[in-house]
Amino acid sequence: MLVDFELIERARSGDDSAFNQVVQAYRKRILGTIARLIGRPEDVEDVGQEVFLRLYFSLDQLRTAEVFEPWLYRLTVNAAYDYLRRQKRRPESRMSDVSEQQVMYADAVAGSKVRDEEERRTKIRELAQSLLGKVSEEDRVLLVLKEVEGRTLKELGQIYKVNENALKVRLFRARQRVLKALQAEEAAGNPAATAGANADASSEDEAAEENTAGESSGGAG
Amino acid sequence: MDRMDDKLDALWVEYRQACPDPDPAPDFMPRLWRQIEKRRNGNARVFRRLAQVCVMATVALTLLMGAVLIPRIQAEAFFAGTYAEELAAEHINADYTDFLTAGDQR
Repeated sequence: MLVDFELIERARSGDDSAFNQVVQAYRKRILGTIARLIGRPEDVEDVGQEVFLRLYFSLDQLRTAEVFEPWLYRLTVNAAYDYLRRQKRRPESRMSDVSEQQVMYADAVAGSKVRDEEERRTKIRELAQSLLGKVSEEDRVLLVLKEVEGRTLKELGQIYKVNENALKVRLFRARQRVLKALQAEEAAGNPAATAGANADASSEDEAAEENTAGESSGGAG
Repeated sequence: MDRMDDKLDALWVEYRQACPDPDPAPDFMPRLWRQIEKRRNGNARVFRRLAQVCVMATVALTLLMGAVLIPRIQAEAFFAGTYAEELAAEHINADYTDFLTAGDQR
């Protein structure tokens, strides 16, 4: 717990300054979780605002301060679902936003070393997002919470209010699907998938970039 | 498959590092409070509107009862005559009954 129970109780009873302190304590962590759940930095703040807005108007329904964190994560998961479902309904905007995002990243980094590192990170993000895109929104959120955020099955059981065994089965199936997608990416020669997660990824990335550049120039010609 | 499992685990770790917790924008809290106020006012407006509708419906119902239902109920009154007339009418019936029963005795 990042804050004590007494502060949550005060926020629950309508103390706005206590609520302010609770948000300030949790916002960075929640924004990080949202960033990894939705994979689009430009929308993280909006989803975060929605989470805390929902928290404010539902805090009186919280039974005890002890279950505050699972409650907050449930709100986060629900807001992320809603966002991902909305995005699914308009895939064309997503494509345009991705290029915008890349431009934003390219503009942000100045030095070549920093740029290389940022490029590598962007590739990792894109690969992870592409793999997560192969499963349903529910499985995607579940996988990120378990595998990336490192939440335990017990914590996930509290967040989802379901049996841990049911979660285990669902996670196993989702992971299998992602593994298959990773194999397919590797077979297709995706540089991030073949290099993926290796310490010497940068040299392979350079080679891959050269290949991509060659392919694109070949394609254009 | 173990190799792929390891690769996927490593990818998740790298993804975690590639997506660090972002710093909230400086206007995060003011923006949040603006939205809270907006929704609060929105809720108050809904309740106010609901109350207005209820008051208007009550007034309309009262007027309807006053203008239509009450005159109709009054028109359908069972005792239209005065008290004396009703009493006289009852006596006439009683005399007639007495007359009939007296005839039988004779």
